[in-house]
Amino acid sequence: MTPPTRTSIAALPRGHEFEPATFTLPGAQVRAYLDAAGDAGDYGAHVPPLAVAALGLAALQERIALPEGSLHTGQEVDHTSAARTGEALTLTGRIAQRSERQGFVISVIEFEVSAGGRRVLGARTTIMAPGEGA
Amino acid sequence: MSAVAPVTRALPQSRIDAYADAAGDHNPVHIDAAFAATTPFGGTIAHGMLVLALIAEMMHAAHGEAWVARGRLKVRFKAPTRAGDTITASATVAREGDEGVEYAVQCANERGETVIEGRATVPA
Repeated sequence: MTPPTRTSIAALPRGHEFEPATFTLPGAQVRAYLDAAGDAGDYGAHVPPLAVAALGLAALQERIALPEGSLHTGQEVDHTSAARTGEALTLTGRIAQRSERQGFVISVIEFEVSAGGRRVLGARTTIMAPGEGA
Repeated sequence: MSAVAPVTRALPQSRIDAYADAAGDHNPVHIDAAFAATTPFGGTIAHGMLVLALIAEMMHAAHGEAWVARGRLKVRFKAPTRAGDTITASATVAREGDEGVEYAVQCANERGETVIEGRATVPA
């Protein structure tokens, strides 16, 4: 399978829509996430929402190149319903805002994750990346 | 009042490496010491989402399924968390009413520097 083309986030215009991505979070992957984070909480059959957001961001990063010096400067997540381990999740996302300041491009990626048509969460991720001339 | 117990955790390089694998984020600034030494940070730093996970863990411990199904987080990453730092996540009630509870949340390192700050909300 051909990997998706990765475009520098600094080059993506406001309004750019990402191709939807699908992924699942099996129990073993959720356990690995919780172990790595050090979270001993009992989530039952649910996936911790921040794991959904983090893995969603990872799916988006298969489509976005982050130039050296890029910084994750802000994060919003709102949970609408709990995802269950092993559920097929669909992510849709777009560049909601883009501005330039002092040689950096500040992009806000807005994305939603749903499961079987049910919204699981929405998120806004702010990335500051060096511009072309930086 | 809806008290929330703080969460404190050391974030050594081994935890950052494990998180990189688990979350699929292998940006070299997090895991490649030689590369990270050439950046303004001067060394590896933890993923922002790894540090933020302490706030999510703290809120889940206090609110359980209500947090998982309806919680909201809005934060700014104010400073990097260096490999080896110990981070404490804490929350204070900012507003509480019929609509739920809103907390001012933060993560600070052992030097007292705030690395994340923002709001967490659990609707009623």
